[in-house]
Amino acid sequence: MPSELDTLARTHLSQVLRDRPDPASLVLDEDLAAEYGLTSLNKVLFLTSLCKAAGVGLDAFTEDDLAGMRTLGDVVDALKPHAALKG
Amino acid sequence: MSESIIDHIVSQRPEHDGALTVTSLGSRVRMPLSEFHDRARAVAGALLREGVRRGDRIGVLAANRLEWVLLDLAALMIGAQTAGFEPGKFTPDTELVDRYGLDRLYTDAAVPGPVPAAVRPIEEIAAHARTEPPDLEPVAYDPLDRTTVKFTSGSTGIPKGLEATVGSIDSSLRDVQALFDHRPGDDLLVFLPLSLLQQRYWLYSALRWGHDVTITTYQSVFAVMPAVNPTVVMGVPAFFDTARRHIEARVADGLESGKAAAELFGDRIRYLWTGSAPADPAMLRALEEAGLPIFEGYGLNETCIATKNHPGAHRPGSVGRPLPGKTVLIDEEGVVCVRSDHPVNTAYTYAAEGESERMFKPGGVVRTGDLGRLDEDGFLYILGRADDVIVLDNGKKIIVRPIEARFRDTGAVTECVLCCPDQTGLVAVVSPPAGPVDPAVIAAALASVNAASEPDERIDRVIVADEPFSIDNGLLTSQFKPVRKRILDRYRDRIADPKEGLHAE
Repeated sequence: MPSELDTLARTHLSQVLRDRPDPASLVLDEDLAAEYGLTSLNKVLFLTSLCKAAGVGLDAFTEDDLAGMRTLGDVVDALKPHAALKG
Repeated sequence: MSESIIDHIVSQRPEHDGALTVTSLGSRVRMPLSEFHDRARAVAGALLREGVRRGDRIGVLAANRLEWVLLDLAALMIGAQTAGFEPGKFTPDTELVDRYGLDRLYTDAAVPGPVPAAVRPIEEIAAHARTEPPDLEPVAYDPLDRTTVKFTSGSTGIPKGLEATVGSIDSSLRDVQALFDHRPGDDLLVFLPLSLLQQRYWLYSALRWGHDVTITTYQSVFAVMPAVNPTVVMGVPAFFDTARRHIEARVADGLESGKAAAELFGDRIRYLWTGSAPADPAMLRALEEAGLPIFEGYGLNETCIATKNHPGAHRPGSVGRPLPGKTVLIDEEGVVCVRSDHPVNTAYTYAAEGESERMFKPGGVVRTGDLGRLDEDGFLYILGRADDVIVLDNGKKIIVRPIEARFRDTGAVTECVLCCPDQTGLVAVVSPPAGPVDPAVIAAALASVNAASEPDERIDRVIVADEPFSIDNGLLTSQFKPVRKRILDRYRDRIADPKEGLHAE
């Protein structure tokens, strides 16, 4: 069963994708750029909006951290230690 | 002519309250520009002690960071010339040092193999900046002195090098200031690579006129922008397209457009600056409607900023009127030519034979190759880009024709048309030879084309057309040239779908 953070991440990823797919259809270990066509600019928009919604300070992350987030699962794992939500 | 702005900023420690901020995800440094000037003087002193002299050429191959601009101002203070190399496009090796006659190359990139003596880690600059700033003999520049080398895409794939004159930099800075009146309270946000001279203009402008300037990176800009709360943002059209889509998505979620704009850009925007590629009129309109005035302009590396819309003279759809130091002429073939009172230069320093003669004409005139018209009030309209340039959302320019020719030359396809649906990676639509298509052959050709290409020129995906392009199916002209727009329209859905096509390894 998906966690609260997982659900929130899917919703916010869907919002930055061109065709706004069903959040439930997004796969945690798919490559965000290759599979979903996520651009660098949209990736940072995604992280920004997700952090805001999850109550996580963006300053918890560096550009290297962002570069390392290749899949939705990577993003959820990166936010988990900082999130007040149930990971 | 009035005092040189470059002379002013190297010799005068700022007495105003302007500040420099350098920020990215997880880091932020802010300092008064007076302190920045002191630190740059300390770097200049260290370079002199190490034997760097007026006329030496210092390469910089690094991401946007404080050391980049410290080194740039320090070099100006001692009359050394900089050469800014875009990260990812160049490798800090002996070949680069030799090809461009570098006395030093400061970099934050990994150096392959043994480190050449001229190549230094850019972190050295941070250490120099902490030393005691010496009193320096002020350097005075002649308008024809050249402070920097800038690089522009070449038809051979090897970037052309162009040295920029002090007179051209002074003239552009003065003209832009006359149009936009940047002043204390303004904060200009820069995120495109500092290797592009125009991005460094905004620091020079801040030093001279006392406004703030914030430097960030392309990767971080959307994350830091609301906290920076800038008054001016400089970006290419593809960047503002992304912003527009985001704002529209937030409006669709029920947010008022002004609030959605402020959520992304902060609530102090005075105007947005764009240029370097054609802007989508719908994007310009959408941002205006969200309360974000946006001004399109026109210019090449070879002309610097030639025309610009601005608050005092703005005609949407045009790229503005010529700056005071520029004259725009349309030649008998409809090509835009720009004459400058203070030309950037009259030839490339590094280019293939014949390239300078094609671009630079007598009398300070540059023949741009773009087609345009002037209206009765002197506003310039660009009608087409003769060179078929793709500008990625990070500002990198790709000239598509040499890459398309490379693919055709493999023999695996009969035609190739490149596009860039999301402004970040290239997609090719290829016309297969008649008969059964062997994807393995096309994939092998793709691999060989990419191996022969510069990093930014590599093709991510190939869409193999359902049938060869022909005159009958409307995809070739009567001269057997591909009809670019129609091909891209016909395969639009497959181009837009990142899962479609053959993917590069």
